[in-house]
Amino acid sequence: MSEEASGQSNGIPSKKVLGLFALAMINVAAVLSIRNFPSMAVYGWSCIGWYIMGAVMFLIPISLAGAELATGWPQGGGVYAWVKQAFGEKGGFTALFCEWSNNLVWFPTVLSFIASTLAFALTPELANSPYYMFSVMMIAFWGTTAIAYFGEEASTKFGNVGVILGSIIPAILIILLGVWWMGSGAALVLPPLTLEAMMPVINVTTLPFFATIILLFAGMEMAGFHALETKNPQKDFPRAMALSAVIIVVCTVLATLAIAMVIPANQLNLASGVMQAIEYFFKAAGVPWLVAPMAILITLGGVVSLAAWLIGPAKGLGIVAEEGNMPPLFDKTNKYGAPVAVLVIQALIGSLISLLYVFLPSVNQAYWILSAMTVELLCIVYVLVFASVIKLRYSQPNTPRPFKIPGGMAGVWIVGGLGMFGTIFAFIVGLMPPSYFTTSGFTYVGSVLLGTFLLAVPPLVFLKFKKASWLKPAGGVR
Amino acid sequence: MTRYSKLEVGLLIFLIIVALLPFVLILVIAEESPYHPVSGEPVNEAALATGITITSAKNTTWNMPGAIGGKTYVLTDNKGEVVTVSTQSFSSAEARDAAIRMYHSQPIGRGKPVGSLVVLGQHLVYVTPANSDILKRLAPELKKNRTP
Repeated sequence: MSEEASGQSNGIPSKKVLGLFALAMINVAAVLSIRNFPSMAVYGWSCIGWYIMGAVMFLIPISLAGAELATGWPQGGGVYAWVKQAFGEKGGFTALFCEWSNNLVWFPTVLSFIASTLAFALTPELANSPYYMFSVMMIAFWGTTAIAYFGEEASTKFGNVGVILGSIIPAILIILLGVWWMGSGAALVLPPLTLEAMMPVINVTTLPFFATIILLFAGMEMAGFHALETKNPQKDFPRAMALSAVIIVVCTVLATLAIAMVIPANQLNLASGVMQAIEYFFKAAGVPWLVAPMAILITLGGVVSLAAWLIGPAKGLGIVAEEGNMPPLFDKTNKYGAPVAVLVIQALIGSLISLLYVFLPSVNQAYWILSAMTVELLCIVYVLVFASVIKLRYSQPNTPRPFKIPGGMAGVWIVGGLGMFGTIFAFIVGLMPPSYFTTSGFTYVGSVLLGTFLLAVPPLVFLKFKKASWLKPAGGVR
Repeated sequence: MTRYSKLEVGLLIFLIIVALLPFVLILVIAEESPYHPVSGEPVNEAALATGITITSAKNTTWNMPGAIGGKTYVLTDNKGEVVTVSTQSFSSAEARDAAIRMYHSQPIGRGKPVGSLVVLGQHLVYVTPANSDILKRLAPELKKNRTP
C-alpha cells in the first residue's frame, strides 16, 4: 500500500477522519477572529476596500496556491512538504520552523485575550490580576495541548463544535443584530455608501496598516498540516479552501459593517478592546443580557483559534522528526498519532514566554517588537510557499495536481507573484518603527531582524548535526 | 528507559535557549515605562509646544477596570494631517499594565495591533494611525514624561 493510501509517514499510522467540513473548519478556526471586527469597523465603509485588498493580495493567492500544493503533494507536513519539494529539506524545514516559532510570540497574546475576555464575563477587574491571567492562560494552553494529545479525532470534534459556537455563531449574531438595527429605522452612524467611501486611503502613514491587512487572512494553509488524516485530500482540499474562504469573508465583512453602522467611530476606542465594543453594540441593540454569554462564546473562539495554530505546525514538526531531520527525542508519537514530544516542548516554551509576558511590567515596547517579529517570520513562510508553487510548475510539471491554478503558467505567475509581492512588501514595511519609540530606529530594526534570524535558524543547525540513525525505518522501530 | 545522546540533549537545550533568546534580548533592549504620576495633560502640552492644532478635546473614560478618565483629542497640522489621540489615566500599575496587555492581545489577524500605544507614567496614550508626522513631532515632548 502506498504511503498516501495508508495514511502513514514512516510507519506511524494516521486515522483518516477529516472530510470537507472538518478541513474547512480548521481554516475557519485559524483565520476567522471576532477580534478583528471592531478594529476594522473604525474604517467605516473603507473597510470594504481594505478587505478587498487583503483578499486580492493574499487570501485568494494563498487559497489557490494552497489548494494546488495540497492536492499535488498530500504527504502531510503542510508547508514543510510543499516547500521541501521545491527547495529541498532546508527550505521546507525553515518554512515550517518559522510558522512554528512565530506561534511562540503569538501564544501569550491570544492566551491573554482568552483570559481577559473570560474575565469580562465574570468580573472585568480580574483582568488586572497577573495571577488570574496566568492561571487561565495556562489552563487554556495546557488544556488545548491535552486535546491535541488525544489525536486528530478529538481535535476535530472539539474544533468543529468550537468554531461554530465560538466564531461563526457570534459573527452571525452580530450580523443579524446589524440587520435588525437597519430594519428598525434606528440612526446609522455611517454616511450613505458611495464608491469613494469604500476606497481605502493609502499613503505613508497608512503603509504599516496596509501590511497588516495583507496578513489579515494568514492561516489559510493550516488544513494542509492534516493531509495524512484527510479521507480524500485531492478532492477535499480545494473545496475546503473555497468553503472556508467564503465563510471567512462573508462573516468578516458583514459583521464589521454591522458594528460600523451601529457604533460611532469615536466610540470604537481600540485600546478599550473587543468586548467593550461588543457591549456597546449589544446595549445599543437592546440586548445587554447577551454580553456575558457572548464573552464566553468569544473566549471559546479564542481557544479554538489557539488549537488550530497549536496543533498544525506541531504536527508538521512531528513529520520532520519522523523523517530523521530532528533527533529521536523530538519524535515521540503516542497511540493517537499525536506528536507528544513536540507538543510538550512547545507548551513548556510557550508557558515560559507567557510567564514573562504577564509578570514583567511595562512590556509595551518589547511586545511591539515581538509582534513585528511575528509578521517577519510569517512573511518568510508565505514567500517560500508562493515561490514553491511557481517553481514546482517548472521542476515537477508532470506531477498530477487534481487542482491547478487556472490560466496555465501565466495564472501561476499572477497568483504566486501577487502573493509574493504582498508578503515581501509586508516584510519590508514590518521593519518600520512606529513614530513614537524610545529606542532608536537602528536598534528597532536590528532587534526585529536579529530576533527573526534567531527564530528562523534552528533548522539549519539541526540539519548540520543530522545523523543517519535519527531516521526511523519503516515499521516504526529505530 | 530510553537514553538520549549528549548531542540530542544539547540540541534540545539549544532549541529552548534559541526560542527564548529573542524574548530575553528584546525585554532587555526595550526601555521600561515605570508607573508614576504625571501632572497636567501631556498631549495638550506637547501639542501646544510643537505648534500642532487641537481641533477638539472631549473627556472620555475607557470602559476598563482602573481607568479613571482622560481625553480624546483630534489633532491637525499645517499639512492637513489629522490624528486622533486618546489618553487615559489609570489608578494602579496593575490596571495600566492590564490595559497594555489587552492592546497587544488584539492584533489584526496575525499582524500588529491597530494604532500606537504610548506609556507615560500613569497615562496610556493611544494614537491612530501609528505612523504620522504629528506623532513624530509630539514624541520628543511626550518622552519627557516617560520616567519620573
